[in-house]
Order: sequence, then structure tokens, then C-alpha cells
Amino acid sequence: MDFGFIVTNAIVLACIYGGLAIGISITWSSLGLINLSYGFVFALSGYGAWLAAQYVSTNGAVVLLAGILTGALGGVLVCALAFIPIHDKPNFTVRGLIATLAINLIGTQGLMWWFGPRSKNLPEIFGTGKLHLGNIVLTADKVGNVVLSVAMLLLVLKWMRSSRRGLEIRAMMMNPHAAAIVGIGVRRTGFYVLAITGGLAGLASVLLSQTYYISPFGGLTPMIKGVAIALCGGLGSVLGAVIAAIVLGFNEALTSVLLGGQYVLITQFILIIIVLLIRPRGIAGILDKAREA
Amino acid sequence: MGGQPLPASAAVKQEVLNVKGLSAGYGAMRVIHDLDFIVYSGERIGLVGLNGHGKSTLFYAIAGLTGWQRGSIKLNGVEVGRTRSQGPGRYTHLVVRQGLALIPQGDEIFHGLTVEEHLDSGAFTPRAWRERTKRKAGILEIFPPLRKLMKVPVGRLSGGERRMVSIGRGLMSDASLFLVDEPSLGLAPKIGKGVMAALMSVDLGDSAMVIAEQNISLLEGQVDRVIGMHVGKLKGEASAGLNFQTTREA
Repeated sequence: MDFGFIVTNAIVLACIYGGLAIGISITWSSLGLINLSYGFVFALSGYGAWLAAQYVSTNGAVVLLAGILTGALGGVLVCALAFIPIHDKPNFTVRGLIATLAINLIGTQGLMWWFGPRSKNLPEIFGTGKLHLGNIVLTADKVGNVVLSVAMLLLVLKWMRSSRRGLEIRAMMMNPHAAAIVGIGVRRTGFYVLAITGGLAGLASVLLSQTYYISPFGGLTPMIKGVAIALCGGLGSVLGAVIAAIVLGFNEALTSVLLGGQYVLITQFILIIIVLLIRPRGIAGILDKAREA
Repeated sequence: MGGQPLPASAAVKQEVLNVKGLSAGYGAMRVIHDLDFIVYSGERIGLVGLNGHGKSTLFYAIAGLTGWQRGSIKLNGVEVGRTRSQGPGRYTHLVVRQGLALIPQGDEIFHGLTVEEHLDSGAFTPRAWRERTKRKAGILEIFPPLRKLMKVPVGRLSGGERRMVSIGRGLMSDASLFLVDEPSLGLAPKIGKGVMAALMSVDLGDSAMVIAEQNISLLEGQVDRVIGMHVGKLKGEASAGLNFQTTREA
């Protein structure tokens, strides 16, 4: 197999999973919530985009926007159901885990009941053009995937760096107790965080649907991969998640080419276990320059 | 508790904080017992007492951060205390919006944010946020060593520098009541004295400041009133001259 194919595939996968992983990472570190309903939000935004393509327009921008907005809406729903009522109760981490898992199970069954088990197909939002770079063929959807997810990610990171809400979210990621002391409302920030991470899931959903189909349970594997990448990168670190996404994207592309697609999850988890054995805080443990506490 | 003697200029001063019958604690433990406490605007109060006698818990209760609490807390005439058995910190941001600045013990800092972002995060009210450039300049007047460190993550600073950042963050806000918890704790005596001098140099205007401190000599002659705290109750009070005495209840 040629090297160019592996590299391009790895980069595309890294971009899509990286977006998911960053969403999970930000949610965990700012709200203390491991969002297991991410798979549902992912599938929901796929269906949102599909509905837009069916009834509004098959224009790529419309479909994409519909996916992102549905994802954000799904995030707000998760926040209202699984964060607001229980976030200040004892043992919130486990309760939140169970609540979001419940939303995931109920939500995906609901999607199946409503839309039926048959997979749906989204229009090709990037067209069918091809780009030749030497002997590497870049299809339009690969280029579009990479450009869009990198652009969206940079936008989110820029927003977190420079805006006031972003400062609030970062403050909560580092020290929720101190964030309360300086007057940051946990609940409102929860809505921001889950809407933004939901939007990221929506983007990933539409992008991934350029390769796969949309189905009620289609969010499960991306979510597992997203959680795995977030863990490997060190929960809470955005840069760590990006690096982990690149490493695991390469692993996925290499494994599926050299060994076969059915071994992807096996090699992925072996890799993650190795990283966590050597660096218990994940890749972020290497990057972090500031002392904790 | 007997009636609190009013400070000399109390006739024109307003109550910033009025605490009545406050009890607070964590779980089965009750730390504060039916406490009454009044702070007038423009005052600087020293709160002294041993470790574990409830100074920090009193501050936390005013901010709504204790495990449970009951009793009335009026901040600028607005009731911010409520009977609550769980959810520490749930209403804290609302209390802060009413004009409270808590500068907690042990520097509750955001280790990855830079000094500048820290100061920004303290300017929570809309007015403070608009004026944040001017206010930051003011903080740098009080703590000149921070000038060089504005772009450095706080996690890399020394203990004394962190304390300055922590206090600076509190002073950035629009607060009418500043609660400063153990500003000299864990610092070398010289640095602790410097931090205390900086706190004393802050122009309070209409707001008030309460400083919890174990080292009475640091407060001597610099505050308007000194109040003692013992086993969850306020005991004894002395004015500026600091003839500090504990009154015993039968």
C-alpha cells in the first residue's frame, strides 16, 4: 500500500476524532462530566443534517450548519437533563456518567423508533472534485474534512483564548472552586460548554457521514474513539487531545491497511494502555509546564 | 452576644454586611454557632483567632460555600444567606454579583492562566470588565513585582507572588465587601508584612474589608476594629488601640 494513502487517511481521521476528543476533554475538565451521551448527540446531528438535506436544501453549507446547530441543541438538552439537576449533588461524577449513558441509550432508541433502523445517506457536501499531488489523489471530501475541522477547532480555541466566556470556561477547567469564588456561574457555563462541544460533535458527524452512513447507533464507535483519544491525550488538555488524535489516526490508518480493519480497536487500546502506563496523565503530562495546586 | 459598639463615624456609615444567627458547617460538623456580625462601610476589620475556630468557615458561609448553613446574611441590604443543606457554591456567583470579593486562604488560583488573565477573571461585574485595563494598572501600583510577570502562568510563580495575584484578583472586582483570609499564611515574615502593608494601602472608599489573621502583631494599629473568634463564635472586640481581650460567657 502506498504511503500517501495512509498519511491522508490518518490526517482525515485525526481531524474528525480530534474534534470529538476535544469536546469530551473540555466537558470533563470544566464540568466534571464524562459525557457518554456524545454518541447520541453525534447521531442526532447526523439526522438533523439529513432532515435539512431532505426538506430544506442539499447545499453543503446548509447541511453542515444544520448538523452543527442540531448538535449544539442536543448539547443544551443534555445539559438541561443530566447536568443542571444533579451537578451539585454528592458523587456527581458517577451520577453524571449514568445519566448521560441513560440519555444515550434512550436517545438512540428514540432515533431508531422515529427514523427506522435503515441508514441514511447525506449529500456530498464538498462535491466530487479530485486533487492530484504527485501520485497522491486527494478527494474533495478529504480536503474539505481537514480544512473545515482545523478551521472550526482554531475558531473554538481562539474563542476560548480571547473571549470572556472562554476565560470563564478555562478558569472552570483549572479550578472549579476558585471559579465560583470569582463569580462564575457553573450552570450557565455548563450550557456554553455543552452547546459548543455538541456543535463540535455535529461537525464531526456531518464530516464522518461523507465516508460512512448515518444510523441511530452510528455515534457509538466515534464516541468510544473520542473518549479513548481524550484519555490518551490527558483529560482536560486540548493540545494533548490533538496530538493523541494524530497518533491514533495514524495507528488506525496503518492498522487497517497492514492488518485489516477489524484490528483497529485492538491496536488502538494497546497503544493507549502503553501511553497511560508510561505517562499516567496522558500526553498532557509531558506538555504541562505549570505546577498543579 | 451583646450589642456591637458602633465605630466612631457610624452615624453616617451604612451597613455593608449584617449577619444574624448564622450557623454553618460541613456534614455532621457544626463550625459556626449562631453568630451575629455587622460590618460598616469604610471599615477595615481584623478577625483573629486560632486555627480551626471558624474564621475561614465564616467567610465561606458568607459566600455560600459551606456544606450547609442557616441564618440571615444581608449584603448591602440584600438577603444572600439562605437555609441550605447541600449544594455548596451553587449560589456563590450570585453573592459575588451582589458585591462580595473573597480572597481565599491558600490561593485558590487557576494554575494554567497567566497573571493577566487572572486579574481579568476577577473583574466579573460588567463595570469592572469595562474598566479592567485601568484597574489592572491600579493593581500593578500596589504589587509592582507583578509587572514583569503578566504573561507568565501562575503555576510557575512563587508562593508570595501567587498571594499577590490572588489578592489582586479580589481587588479587581467592584466589591463592597472584601474578605481576606490569612494573607500572611505560609509566607516569609518580610513578604507577609509587605502583603499586609499593600492591603492596608488599598483605598476602600465606601466598601469594607475584613482580614482574618492569626498574627495579631501584623494588624496592630492598622485596622479600625479587631474581633476575636473562638469555637465558632465572635468573642470580644477591640478598637484601633488593640486592647484585645476575650470576654467569657457564662
